[in-house]
Amino acid sequence: MNTAGALVTAATPRVPLLDAASAPLTARRYFSDGDPGPIVAALASVPELLEVTLPFLSTVLSASALDARTKEIVIVRTSAVQECRYCIDAHSVVALDTGLTVAEVRTLSERGPASLPDEREAALLAWIDAVAGATGPVQDSVAARLGASYRDYEIVELTLLIGATMMLNRFCTALSLPTSTEVTMRLTEEGLV
Amino acid sequence: MTAIAEAVRAGELPGRVWMYSNYHCNLACSYCLTESAPKVSKRELTSEAMIGVAHDAADLGFTALGVTGGEPFLLPDMAHRLAELGSILPTVGLTNGTLFTGRRLDAAEELAGTDVALQISLDSADPDVNDAARGPENFAKVVAAIPALVERGVTVRIATTGQDPDAVAAARLCALHRDLGVPDEDHVVRPIINRGRAAEAGMGVDVTELDLPAELTVTADGAFWSPFGPTVVAGQLDTDLLLTRTTVPLRVPAQTLLGLLQGRPAGADSTLNIR
Repeated sequence: MNTAGALVTAATPRVPLLDAASAPLTARRYFSDGDPGPIVAALASVPELLEVTLPFLSTVLSASALDARTKEIVIVRTSAVQECRYCIDAHSVVALDTGLTVAEVRTLSERGPASLPDEREAALLAWIDAVAGATGPVQDSVAARLGASYRDYEIVELTLLIGATMMLNRFCTALSLPTSTEVTMRLTEEGLV
Repeated sequence: MTAIAEAVRAGELPGRVWMYSNYHCNLACSYCLTESAPKVSKRELTSEAMIGVAHDAADLGFTALGVTGGEPFLLPDMAHRLAELGSILPTVGLTNGTLFTGRRLDAAEELAGTDVALQISLDSADPDVNDAARGPENFAKVVAAIPALVERGVTVRIATTGQDPDAVAAARLCALHRDLGVPDEDHVVRPIINRGRAAEAGMGVDVTELDLPAELTVTADGAFWSPFGPTVVAGQLDTDLLLTRTTVPLRVPAQTLLGLLQGRPAGADSTLNIR
């Protein structure tokens, strides 16, 4: 089992986090470059799910037709709406590395309403809050505002990104996956903890 | 013909599918892979599940079955289960051989004339040596059970597990199994594997998957590379040789195993089916 020694902060995971020695045969490649993080370490207990989940997540969350800034806005804001501490922490660092300012990350990661001055991004935040922060149909006015700034295929990808992030939010939160000390230290340095 | 059947026919994939019927055991052998003992979690496969695996295995092109544990004959219907399995594919049932008295011995008669062999553990011709590893009175019970089963028409094999049996001891053991009615071709000798309780005791040889035949193994916890895979240390199941948690349908772990053997990433043999 991966106790993840120095990497673990306060959260105690509710399921075993496998390490390279205990990783199943088809999961070993994800451990070949070191600790792959708690999401992989948890999913490795069900290797056939890891085999399909990771490529999916990688495709949805990494570089694509959407620019990196937009994607990190979606991920951090969705995670804040869902109150996923692990995802907020991890992707706040990614967002900073992508070029978002500390102030922007702080706004996005707050539980209350978030705002960004650019109308395109403000429409996106409204869409995120409607999709991730509520149940039932999304209001036509919110969709129309988004549609004024994004093409149809971008709306498809943005919405799937919100959904995939929500899946991760609930997975990480329910299983109490731990934030690494490296992430915590970085956020502390940036004044985000 | 399925890809599995082709691989089995070509000798790329072993033809036997193993099932761990249960993990509990009336013994607590010093080198047990699964830390089996009377009070451990049973983790049983139901009879229906085992029959389902057998039918799936036959449909996929596997050619033989194996049942192990734990002690399978702690499950009262095991003789009947084995007979059913043997009607689907040739089957070997591993047992410690200590329970074949009274009703269990009578029940075992159902295996006479079937395509089922019982493989009974006997580690030495010296009762003290044998019983040191396998528990008090083990030797006496086993040497009583084997001829009783053979007399009833049950095919019996003997499996000897040991660190480094010397030639003299081996010769004595072979003389014994012949006396018990088990021919040389039905006596298998295997090393202690450094997993499970043996690992905790510092016994046995180190192995990786490359050392173990890739015999698909189904347990209540998932499917593994080999019957030496679902080992237990300090009460925790080892996952390093886990293939999939999915065991039904059997093609899921079977294809994963075949993919590993053929160096293909899992899922590479599937096709997109988007409609």
